[in-house]
Amino acid sequence: MSKPKIASDWMAGCAGCHMSLLDMDERIIKIAELADLRATPITDLKEPDESGVDVGVLEGGINNTANEEVAHRMRQRSKILVALGDCAVFGGVPALRNFCGIQEALQRAYVEAESVDESGKIPSDPELATMTKVRALSEVVPVDVFVPGCPPEADVIYYVLSELAQGRTPELKDELLHWH
Amino acid sequence: MIKLTIDNQTVEVPEGTTVLEAAEKLNIRIPKLCHHPAIKPYGSCRLCVVEVEGFRTIQASCTLPAGNGMVVRTDTPALQESRHFVLSMLFSERNHFCPFCQVSGGDCELQNAAYDEGMTHWPIQPQWSNFPVDTSHPYYVLDNNRCILCRRCVRACGELVGNFTLAIEERGSSNLLIADVGVPLGESTCIQCGTCVQVCPTGALIDRTSAYHGLGQNVAYTSSICVGCSVGCNINVVTRDNRLVRIEGDFGGAVNGGVLCEHGRYYPMTDQRERLTQPLLKKNGKLEPASWDEALTAIADRVKPLVGKGAHSVVAIASTRLPAEALSIFKQLFGEGIGSRVVTSVEEGLPTARSAELAQTVGAFEAKLEALKTSDAVITIGVDLSRNHQVAGFFAKRIRPQGVPLIVIDPNENGFDPIADVALKPEAGKDADTIGWLLAAAKGEAVSDQKIGEAAQLIKKAQKPVIVYGKGLIAFNEPIVLQKLIEYARAIGASLIGVKGEANSFVASQYQLDRPFALNGQQAAYVAIGDDYVTERLLQRLEKAPFIIAQASYASKLTALADVVLPVTIWAEQSGHYVNLEGRVQQAHAALVAAEGVRSNAEALQAVAESLGVKTMDNWKDALFQRKPVVEIG
Repeated sequence: MSKPKIASDWMAGCAGCHMSLLDMDERIIKIAELADLRATPITDLKEPDESGVDVGVLEGGINNTANEEVAHRMRQRSKILVALGDCAVFGGVPALRNFCGIQEALQRAYVEAESVDESGKIPSDPELATMTKVRALSEVVPVDVFVPGCPPEADVIYYVLSELAQGRTPELKDELLHWH
Repeated sequence: MIKLTIDNQTVEVPEGTTVLEAAEKLNIRIPKLCHHPAIKPYGSCRLCVVEVEGFRTIQASCTLPAGNGMVVRTDTPALQESRHFVLSMLFSERNHFCPFCQVSGGDCELQNAAYDEGMTHWPIQPQWSNFPVDTSHPYYVLDNNRCILCRRCVRACGELVGNFTLAIEERGSSNLLIADVGVPLGESTCIQCGTCVQVCPTGALIDRTSAYHGLGQNVAYTSSICVGCSVGCNINVVTRDNRLVRIEGDFGGAVNGGVLCEHGRYYPMTDQRERLTQPLLKKNGKLEPASWDEALTAIADRVKPLVGKGAHSVVAIASTRLPAEALSIFKQLFGEGIGSRVVTSVEEGLPTARSAELAQTVGAFEAKLEALKTSDAVITIGVDLSRNHQVAGFFAKRIRPQGVPLIVIDPNENGFDPIADVALKPEAGKDADTIGWLLAAAKGEAVSDQKIGEAAQLIKKAQKPVIVYGKGLIAFNEPIVLQKLIEYARAIGASLIGVKGEANSFVASQYQLDRPFALNGQQAAYVAIGDDYVTERLLQRLEKAPFIIAQASYASKLTALADVVLPVTIWAEQSGHYVNLEGRVQQAHAALVAAEGVRSNAEALQAVAESLGVKTMDNWKDALFQRKPVVEIG
C-alpha cells in the first residue's frame, strides 16, 4: 500500500502555522516516513496533485478571490481537508478588517499609514485578486478537521498529521486543544 | 434535609440548596458561566443545565432547588448537545478573538468551558458588528465585544458593593453593559473597587495594571490581609517573579467575602514612592549610605545615654500599619526598655483612645461586623464610609434595597449624604445634642426638629439597628459624647461598631500606643513609619527634634529630615498579625521577598533593642489582653 499523500497551502494568514509545522523539528522525518509530503508553500511543488491527495491542509482565512480558488482546489483534490490555525478555523486576526470594511482598510493601509508618503494609492491592477470579506475556511468549503491555535503548537500539528497519516481521525482535547 | 440522586450518587442537603450546590457536594462538576458563588444564582447562561427525571425540559441547576427524591443527570448526550449549542451562540453573539486576549489560555471561563466540551471551532460566525470599548476608567477597560451578558458584574456591583453603577441596556442581541445611564465608566458613579473585574468570566472587563502580566498558571497567590484600613479584608496577593501583579479579594474571606475597595485593590499597585534599600546615615549634614552595623552603632551612641532619662529621652512614634509583632517590640523597647514617657502611634489614639478608656469601666461595648451585614437600620456618626473603611460602607449600602434605612450624622459633607434616608447635619461639636434628641425621640418624647423625627421613626421600626461611629465623633469631643451614644444604643437595642483607624489601630490601642505627643525637651525621636504615609502634621512636630531616627520603607520628607534611616519591608514583604476593628486576629503573609539590606519592621526594632541592650519578649498576643478591649478579641 502506498503512503497517504499530504499537501498544504496558505491563504490569508501569516505563515506562522507553517512555521509551527517546521517547529516539530526532527519529527518531520517521522511524518515523511508515514506520509508522502506533496505540494506545500515551502517546497518546490506548489499545487496539490491533480490526481488528488489524502490530506489537504490549509492555513489562513479567505479574504479574496485567489484564496477562494486555493480553498476550492484543495477541497476538490483532498479526501480530508484540515483547517490549520485560528485564521482558517475562525477568520483570525485578518478578520478584524470585517469590522471596518474593505475600502476603509485599504485607505488606512495604502494612503493613511504613517509610513506612506503623499504618493500612496490603493493598488488597482486588474491582475490582482478581488478582495472579499474575511471568512473562515468552513464558510467557503466543508472542513473535516479543525486545528485551532495561533499558531497550533508543533506538538499539536505533529499529532494531527501523524494520526491522519495512519488513517485515524485526530481528536483534539485537553492539552492539545487551544485557540490562542 | 433533602435527599436526591445525582449521576447515581445519593446526597443529603439542607432545604434551599440548589442542585448545582448539591452536585458540588458530591464533587460532580457542572459547567457554568453566569454563576458565581458569592452572588445570587441568576440562571442566564443555561450552561449548567441538567436532566431531572419526570421534568419535561432540561433545567438550569444553579437556580433549581434540590427536591426530595429528585433523580438528576448532569452529563447525557442531550445535555452535551445543549451546552455545545449554548456555547456556540455565546461565541457568535459577540467578537471573541482568543489569540490576543489577555485572559486567553487558562483565565477565560468561556474559553475553558469550550475546551471542556472539546470544541475545536464554532459553527456559526459572528456578525462582525462592532461593540463599544470603554477606556475611560483609570483602572479598567470595558470591552463589550467580549461580554457574554452573564451580568456577574452587574450583580456584584449591586449585591456585593451596593453601588448599582453597572447595568444592561437594550434588548436581545443589542444588550449592552453600561455605567449609570450610559455615561463613560470613568465619569460614572463607579467607586473603582474592581469587584466587577474580578468576577468577569471573560476578558470583557480588563484590569489595566495586570493585563498581560501573567495568567493564573504563571503567577503565585499568597493569602493575606489588606492593611489599607482597620476592616482587614482578606486578600490574595498575586505575584510573579517577585513582582506585584494584582490584588484580589478572597471570596472565602470571613471579613469581606471577596469585596475590596479602591484603597485595598489599586492604591498599592500605583504606589510610586521611592524605595529605600540600605541604611542611611547623616554625615556632615548629608545622608549617606551606611551598613546596618554603622547605623545601629550611631543609634546606640545617641540613645544609650538617654536610657532612663524619662522626659528628656526619646519620643517614639510608630505607624499603626505595622504588624502586632513589631508594635509589641516597639512598646517594650521604648516603654519598659528605655523608659520614654512618650511612646505612641502616628494616630495618637485619636480614633481609639476615648473608646478604650470607656471600655476600662463599662467593658466591651462594641459588636462584630456581622451585625452590620445583617442589620435592619444603619446609623453612621463621625465617619464617612464612602471614603474610609469603605468595605464596611459596602455592607451598609448593599442592604439598602431590602429596605434597610441609612441615617448619616455628620457635621461635614459626607459621601453617604446623597443615598441616606436622613442626613443629619449637627453643628460641629454638637453631636451630643443630636444624640440626645434621638434618645428623647426614642423614649417617645416630642422633638421639634423634623429631620430628627424622621430618623427616629425609621429607627423605631428596626429590630437590630447598628450604629457605626468613627474618629469624627470621639477624637476631639468630650468623653460624655461617647457615653451618650452608648446610652442611646442601649435604649434602641442597637449594636455599636467603632471603625478605628489604620490596620492595627486596635492593637496600638491595646498596647496603649495612643497618647498625643509633643516634643518637650526630648533628645531624640524614633519614628517607625514603615510603609505608611508621612503627614504634614507629623513633620511639623518633628521639625525641631535634635536627632531623628526613621525606620521607613520609602524616601519621604521624614527620611530627608532624619539623622539615621533604617530601611524596612513594605506590607507585601512582611508576615505578621493584625487585629481588625471587630477584634478579629488575622495573619498577613509575605508575598514578596525584600531587597537585600531591607529588614522587616520587627527585625529592625529587634536589632535596635539589641544594640541598646534592651531585652524584649515575643508576647504580642498576651499583650493584647493587658487592657480591656472595646470589642471581644478573637
